[in-house]
Amino acid sequence: MPSSLNHKQLIYPTADPTSLRHVVREVREIEHVDPIAIGDRVRYVDAGAGRGMITEVLPRHSKLSRPAPVPGQRVFEQVIVSNVDLVVPVFSLADPTPKWGLLDRYLVTAEASRLPALIVITKLDLAGKNRSFEADIEIYRRIGYPVQLVSSVTGDGIEQLKQSLQGRMSVLVGKSGVGKTSLLNAIQPGLGLRVKAVSQGEQGKGRHTTSHLEMFELDFGGTLVDTPGMREFGLWEITSEDLAFLFPEMADHVGQCKFGMSCRHDQEPGCAIRKAVMAGDISPHRYKSYMNLKEEL
Amino acid sequence: MSYRSASFGDFRCAHCQAIVSCAHLLSGVNNRNHCPYCLWSCHLDLYVAGDRLSACKASMKPIGLTMKKGRNKYQREARGELMLIHECVECKTLSINRMAADDDSETVITVFHESFTWSQGLQALCMQHGIVPLNADDREIVYSQLYGRHVEIPVLK
Repeated sequence: MPSSLNHKQLIYPTADPTSLRHVVREVREIEHVDPIAIGDRVRYVDAGAGRGMITEVLPRHSKLSRPAPVPGQRVFEQVIVSNVDLVVPVFSLADPTPKWGLLDRYLVTAEASRLPALIVITKLDLAGKNRSFEADIEIYRRIGYPVQLVSSVTGDGIEQLKQSLQGRMSVLVGKSGVGKTSLLNAIQPGLGLRVKAVSQGEQGKGRHTTSHLEMFELDFGGTLVDTPGMREFGLWEITSEDLAFLFPEMADHVGQCKFGMSCRHDQEPGCAIRKAVMAGDISPHRYKSYMNLKEEL
Repeated sequence: MSYRSASFGDFRCAHCQAIVSCAHLLSGVNNRNHCPYCLWSCHLDLYVAGDRLSACKASMKPIGLTMKKGRNKYQREARGELMLIHECVECKTLSINRMAADDDSETVITVFHESFTWSQGLQALCMQHGIVPLNADDREIVYSQLYGRHVEIPVLK
């Protein structure tokens, strides 16, 4: 790749896969971090001996994207996974304690991609360390999101989770240290993933045990994509006006405000969403997440 | 420059429109929650101070003063810290807020005097929340905290 070009402007050669020399046949410029994402279905030319060349990426029925975290550069789309059926945000009850704001971010991304979400809370065996978790989880159950509590140590909830994943392509998202890799090992022993204990020395932030995207065929049917512990998870192609529609409990109130669709749901008088928060129909924590996410857009 | 002397989060008062600096050097508090000129606040907190979980966001009127008991058991007198009582103009929620070093003393005195005419309902609500408002008998405490121990206390009209 020429050094004078923007390094996010990916240029790749399309050569004859059977040629002995990699003669460049065509060069295209693609404005993606990676033109092919995990989960993509492709056409390819088989060159034999386990080699080949992708010639076409087939249309995606779904994708989960985020802005590529490149400070000071033009923002590019990074498709985390495509053709996915289920988004599985994974959080732990303790060590580290759940960041519900981050969960809301994942759920908004799933809603924007029109994908169902299944919230998985790991480390159920550490429930004694988090006394408020039941009330927090109830917020999401009331909205309609399924929540499954599991423990990779005791095996609690693992069978129920396997049933939810069966026959679907699911993607696990969550911070490092929440036990995604241990969870994978629990639902299917022998995956051979390297599991490192959360580094207590890093104040519970955890190391990035998973360092690359991996897709696993599940013995009981379905596939699972594990993602690196993502510290950056920006919202891609979501506008400030759309955001309230991506909070299912707020969607019905949009347009009911005194200022109609012009309401920013902040300090405007007669705001239906704020009224619903005051009435207890919308969680104050979810409303705060909404306002925080809105500031980014 | 200390992080406390940096003025992050300056705002315009929604009530009197004054520009308010959040510099710790001026206010003496880490989180300024009311205007030092008119003493009005905004209903932003729900469960605990600073949680910013309230969706009400209406203005909060300063309606009186109360006293937070001091932690120093070796104090000569059982005096604590002078606190402002705010009432939300929309949902009528009460909250107690620390006073800042640069709060306008004359305005504090005005709020204090106006609190003598509280309605029975407001007094009952305060007691329900465990808030004991300062009254005319506490004028010496209020004046001495604002202006010093040797201040001349004006006669109540």
